[in-house]
Amino acid sequence: MFCLSELEDTVRVPPDLLKLPLEVAIKKVLQKLFLDKVLSIGLCVSIYDIKSAEGGFVLPGDGAPTYKVVFIIVVFRPFVGEVIAARFKESDSNGLRLTLGFFEDIYVPAPLIPRPNRCEPDPCNRNQMRWVWIFEEQEYIIDDSYQINFRVENISYPPVPTERAEDGAIDDDGLGPVSWWEGCSERNNEDDDT
Amino acid sequence: MSGEEEENAVELKIGDEFLKAKCLMNCEVSLIFEHKYEHLQQVSEDPMNQVSQVFEKSLQYVKRFSRYKNPDVVQQVREYPLSFFSFVRVYMPYDFDRILSRHQLTEFELCVLCNLCPKTAEEAVAMVPSLKTKGRAHSDEVIEKMLNDLSLVKRFE
Repeated sequence: MFCLSELEDTVRVPPDLLKLPLEVAIKKVLQKLFLDKVLSIGLCVSIYDIKSAEGGFVLPGDGAPTYKVVFIIVVFRPFVGEVIAARFKESDSNGLRLTLGFFEDIYVPAPLIPRPNRCEPDPCNRNQMRWVWIFEEQEYIIDDSYQINFRVENISYPPVPTERAEDGAIDDDGLGPVSWWEGCSERNNEDDDT
Repeated sequence: MSGEEEENAVELKIGDEFLKAKCLMNCEVSLIFEHKYEHLQQVSEDPMNQVSQVFEKSLQYVKRFSRYKNPDVVQQVREYPLSFFSFVRVYMPYDFDRILSRHQLTEFELCVLCNLCPKTAEEAVAMVPSLKTKGRAHSDEVIEKMLNDLSLVKRFE
């Protein structure tokens, strides 16, 4: 789910931004550093607010001032065991792939798809396999017609190169997907009840 | 959260900092982002340039999976200050606080319930198994009362 998270970091404001109001300049630098990055606390989707900015000292040999900034960001942070609403993206014989729009690396491996089920070639898309859930003699095709609720089983972070030399309150500065495997607690309930 | 305890929201093991931290419901994120977008439109000649893809797609997601959908909420939000240090629930804060304490819910559980909108006690427990644990052992009747309370929460006037 989405969370507000307070962070502290040392921010260098490059000279070309100094003509802007300080808060705007700092926000721009923070956006560049954090937006769409995976941190240990989650995927940063927005800089919410700047609580304080202190300092502004220019270090010797540098043309730019450095500030100690306390700020709040909005992160998306999945929890193991949390149920999240998503949409279908694609499927193959290994399982399903789901998407949230801003995040697309959600995988449901075949063993976690509700049973009984079967996998067959997709008549509308030759390259894809589709999954069909059989429940009380009714067949439900798993596709993008409905919202799919899934439970987070596992979160994996790819190895992350640490570009930044500073240690702030932030552990990781990562790019790249976080992939989750879920038990698909299948709930196709967009318009009707199942 | 200690290293030995594995995270598991099913049993509400999600780290103390998140049990008390500001979990946001999708509808609240929707308000924040709409507000931000409105503000950008006012100050910039080209707001689309300012808005990143992840922001836009997140906004799309939260608008879609929001419990409380109020078409005129953006109008209300414009009157709110852009920057407020401690997050204020724009939906009747009294209602949520009352629901939280009456049913002994954590913020996390409340947010999951509001994001997924279960219609019955059975659905609610499937989505938030911890409702039946953690020493509360809510009966189905109590859970249904809670779901009813949630459906009655009104937008902050």
